[in-house]
Amino acid sequence: MTIWHIFKKDLRLLWPFVIAVAILWWIEVVILFRLGLFGENPVLANLSLALLPFTAVFATMFLVVAIAHLDAVPGVRQDWLVRPIPRGKLLLEKLLFALVLVVGPIFAANIFQGVANGFAVREVLDAATEGAVIFACLFILPFFALGSVTENMTGAFIFGSACAAVGTAILSSANDMNDFAHGTIVTAANSGISWIPVTLELTLVAVGASLVLWLQYFHRRTTAGRFVIAGFGVVILAVQLLPWKPAFAIERYFSAQPNAAAAVEFAFDARLGKFKSPSGVARSLKNFQPNRGDQPADVFLPLRTSGIPGDSIVISDRVDFYVLSEGRPLYHGAGESAQIDRTGTNSPEKPAYQEIELPMSFYAGAKERSVTVRADYSLTLFGLAKSYSLPALNGSERMPGLGWCQTQTNEAETAVELHCMQLSRAPICATLFLENASTGVQNPPRSICSSNYGLSRPPLPDVIARYAANIPFRDATGLAKYPVDGSQLAESRVVIRLYEPVDHFNRTVTIPEIRLGDWEAD
Amino acid sequence: MGFERFDALRGLTFDVPEGSAFAMIGANGAGKTTTIKVLMNILEPSRGSATVLGVDSRTISPRELAQIGYVSENQDMPTRLTVGEYVDYLRPFYPTWDRQLEGSIARQLRLPLERKIGDLSHGMRLKMALLCALPYRPKLLILDEPFSGLDPLVRDEFMEGLLEQAGEMTILISSHELGEIDGVATHVAFLDEGRLLFQESMNELTGRFREVQVTLEIEAVRPAQIPKDWMQVRAIGNVLTFVDARFEENGLGEAVRSRISGVRGIDSKPMALRSIFTTLARASRDNGTRWKEGQ
Repeated sequence: MTIWHIFKKDLRLLWPFVIAVAILWWIEVVILFRLGLFGENPVLANLSLALLPFTAVFATMFLVVAIAHLDAVPGVRQDWLVRPIPRGKLLLEKLLFALVLVVGPIFAANIFQGVANGFAVREVLDAATEGAVIFACLFILPFFALGSVTENMTGAFIFGSACAAVGTAILSSANDMNDFAHGTIVTAANSGISWIPVTLELTLVAVGASLVLWLQYFHRRTTAGRFVIAGFGVVILAVQLLPWKPAFAIERYFSAQPNAAAAVEFAFDARLGKFKSPSGVARSLKNFQPNRGDQPADVFLPLRTSGIPGDSIVISDRVDFYVLSEGRPLYHGAGESAQIDRTGTNSPEKPAYQEIELPMSFYAGAKERSVTVRADYSLTLFGLAKSYSLPALNGSERMPGLGWCQTQTNEAETAVELHCMQLSRAPICATLFLENASTGVQNPPRSICSSNYGLSRPPLPDVIARYAANIPFRDATGLAKYPVDGSQLAESRVVIRLYEPVDHFNRTVTIPEIRLGDWEAD
Repeated sequence: MGFERFDALRGLTFDVPEGSAFAMIGANGAGKTTTIKVLMNILEPSRGSATVLGVDSRTISPRELAQIGYVSENQDMPTRLTVGEYVDYLRPFYPTWDRQLEGSIARQLRLPLERKIGDLSHGMRLKMALLCALPYRPKLLILDEPFSGLDPLVRDEFMEGLLEQAGEMTILISSHELGEIDGVATHVAFLDEGRLLFQESMNELTGRFREVQVTLEIEAVRPAQIPKDWMQVRAIGNVLTFVDARFEENGLGEAVRSRISGVRGIDSKPMALRSIFTTLARASRDNGTRWKEGQ
């Protein structure tokens, strides 16, 4: 009764704000729905991609803080402090208010969006609930905690900005240190095992915010609450910097099919010859880093692979390489991640070239020397999970596990555009190719595998993941010829094969007595 | 209600007798508001303790708060609600809320119930705070600088509203204006820089202070030995004046003559409350010592 009574008061004070925020989210959802899969209205697309989500997120943030500020905890002038209002009930009311009137409209918008796009109600409900829980824990709770340790919006802005500035400084310093260490301080964040830091962060955010709310609403310890926010903020940042090796060890423990990759081996094989870039350009622009003042040299080491199961893909999540001379390390750096796929069980296993990037100052002195290179791999084996297909021309299919997909040719008529939407998450790894349904002829598959296959999803409350890919059938330059070309599109289908991670494993490749200069890209 | 040692409020100990109208007097920054906020558990003392309605102030619960009325010049209320909406909001939290009494107070204070709190003048806000503090007939009414910035007319309306409903309630009122508590307070405590200078009933206080004028046959000089109860001793021409802080009708003449020779006449006058406080405050500052009844 008390909770409902306070709820009504808060609603009376905040209803315009609540409605404005709900409208923002609903406009976003309606625009997304209107855009459909191909989103060809650029104005609406820009609105839905940038302006509206940004505005809606900020407005939601301010609304959540404002809910706390209606009965601000810090300070000595608030009237509610001298009223017989149970603080536990006040806290419950605020959380309920945020859940019902902030998360509620977003939840409803997501259900509308999912159902309107043809997804099953039950699946939409599950996805919307999951999204709402994550949004409540990762967004509502921390911003409500921020509101609880500040008296007004100005205070919240200053305190929040200070925390963000400190956080940015720490992360920026960590990045600088990583650059200085040639990318060897790689962390588990933004990688295939990012679910570990994300799960830890989720837990820490929920625990930290709950602790702050307990301190504030039951003890009014604002200074302690602010220190808890700062402290947990630092710990959460530290989790972002979680070292790779222990995180990958956890990942290995949770492998879906441990030892599925037991037979996978890599070995240096000089007979494979030097790497030749298909485009003829060995060094891509991404490698040019003028701020280091040292343009890198790219070396490609040929590797023979064996033991990769059929219909599998191996992705190197991380490569640590060492250049050694007489057992002493001369250089330690991070190698480029690579992907090796094998279609069917009879296809030969493809070679791979491990790209390593070396500062020119080091390379110039070392390229003619005989050195040993050791590469420590953290790898993931993906196994084929499901296969789908839909017509290559104007196809539209709803496929369980893949979502709703449509196809059309691009304006240049060089590729089939595949656009899909799926509840919650996009597939993490897929190969796509065109297949002539009459003749069975296939184009070379194109792999699209995200290096991040963990549980992570953005805390933004959009329940639908949208993803797209282009599947080429004509090379505008005329250099490449495709078995399935534009003339066969009417009788062709786009085949989509989804892969799931099955095993995580480590391998070490040691290459004794090589001259790096012999393997520089042409 | 008891109150003991605090760092910010050094050596502060006082009791507010039940049923009294207890005035805490002191200049701005004397510690009055801090004291009240500690009593209401808005501020937590680092040391010492305060007891309100028999409960340690740090553990004060909604049950006690439902019996305490609180009116402060610095009370933040939801400015976007109307007076009526806020009263409607508060009502269910108080089991003893009397709607008839609420209506009568609202009429008496001439409060515009439909007006937003943010649009109220300072005086109106204070009256509204009173409206939100009285209808549940609190056992204890705490008024923190309630008259600050009020014009005389509003002050009188406020006091009428308050006194009519006072009944058996205990009132703790803080003010830096002596005139405001004159005729209201039954007891008084004087705070200076976080210290309690004295605590006494108003009757005793006004009864024991006298301004004494001694006319001499010769030119007056300050006596070598001055009793500690004689304050602000001055010699001008053949007249010696002082404030007697422990006045006794029968004993004054003897006390004066035993210390001063050539006394032609002694005249004593009751002092206004303001003069008493001014005298005490000066004595405190001049001596840098506590001045308290019995010391």
